[in-house]
Amino acid sequence: MSADEFDPEIERLFARTPHMPDAALFTAQVEKRLEQGSRVRFLALSLAGVVGGAVALREAVTVNLNLGDGSGVVAGAAVNRGVSAVSTQAQGLAQGALDAVGLSGLEVGSLGAMQLFWIAAAALVAVAAAGAMRLAQDV
Amino acid sequence: MTQSLVDRHDVELAAQAAAGGRREFGELVRRHGLAVRALLRRMGAQPSTADDVAQDAFIQAFERCAEFRGEGTFAAWVKRIAARLYLKRVAKESRYVAELEDDSTAPTVEHGDRVDLDEALKSLSEAERLCVSLCHGAGMAHPEIAAALNLPLGTVKSHVKRGLDKLRARLAPAGTLGRTQHVG
Repeated sequence: MSADEFDPEIERLFARTPHMPDAALFTAQVEKRLEQGSRVRFLALSLAGVVGGAVALREAVTVNLNLGDGSGVVAGAAVNRGVSAVSTQAQGLAQGALDAVGLSGLEVGSLGAMQLFWIAAAALVAVAAAGAMRLAQDV
Repeated sequence: MTQSLVDRHDVELAAQAAAGGRREFGELVRRHGLAVRALLRRMGAQPSTADDVAQDAFIQAFERCAEFRGEGTFAAWVKRIAARLYLKRVAKESRYVAELEDDSTAPTVEHGDRVDLDEALKSLSEAERLCVSLCHGAGMAHPEIAAALNLPLGTVKSHVKRGLDKLRARLAPAGTLGRTQHVG
């Protein structure tokens, strides 16, 4: 701004804030949108956590435990049996959940850990791409 | 004892908002919401559009709060975000493109008994109004405005100068310039 354009009175007029009767409503609307945004972010993170956790759990329960020497064979076999039982139960529960949402055709047991991993990764990449696009539009 | 929100400085509130403090950010919205909405209306936005853009600006400010370092005021920072969002929206609608080349649609200046700034701004062409509001309301420099509006720098300077001349002519006879009360 050049010196001849600087006008303290004009500056002062621009600094004045007019009264608006709906000021409280405006603040409430912004707070509501912040709350909603926070909830969506929480749900997205929770979903990502659940998917990641499911992949990790599946990896853990399908791992072939090998306790090495002969003394551990019996104990190792017992642990393996227990783990397999838990795995079957977890798959049953997941399949039940899928059936409940109408995805009975999708068999969890048939998906490998890597497949689940890539599905989750693709979903996260899609979410990140959507976020980046939104940001690019805003900035 | 915890300091109440109203006693805290903007910079402190912004730092807490950057860490996810929605209550603290709510206080900032309470403090500066009117100023941001007023700026957008002065730029020529319809009240409903101004409020939509102001909300978007505050949401964006919350998400980018960590970028606010306190070099300028928080109000000026949010105003710039709001101004840019509004310009983007207007550019999408290609609303001011024709207007920038044709000032004949600017209302003629009439001298009344008392004219406030918002009334006086209505006597400016849309381009003048935008440039003056961005310069004096959002605190943007001429080169910034030229880049934001995609206009030559000289054109922006002309719009600001003509706009200010019109504002002075509109405001001075009514005596508004000499007896305004500073509120905020």
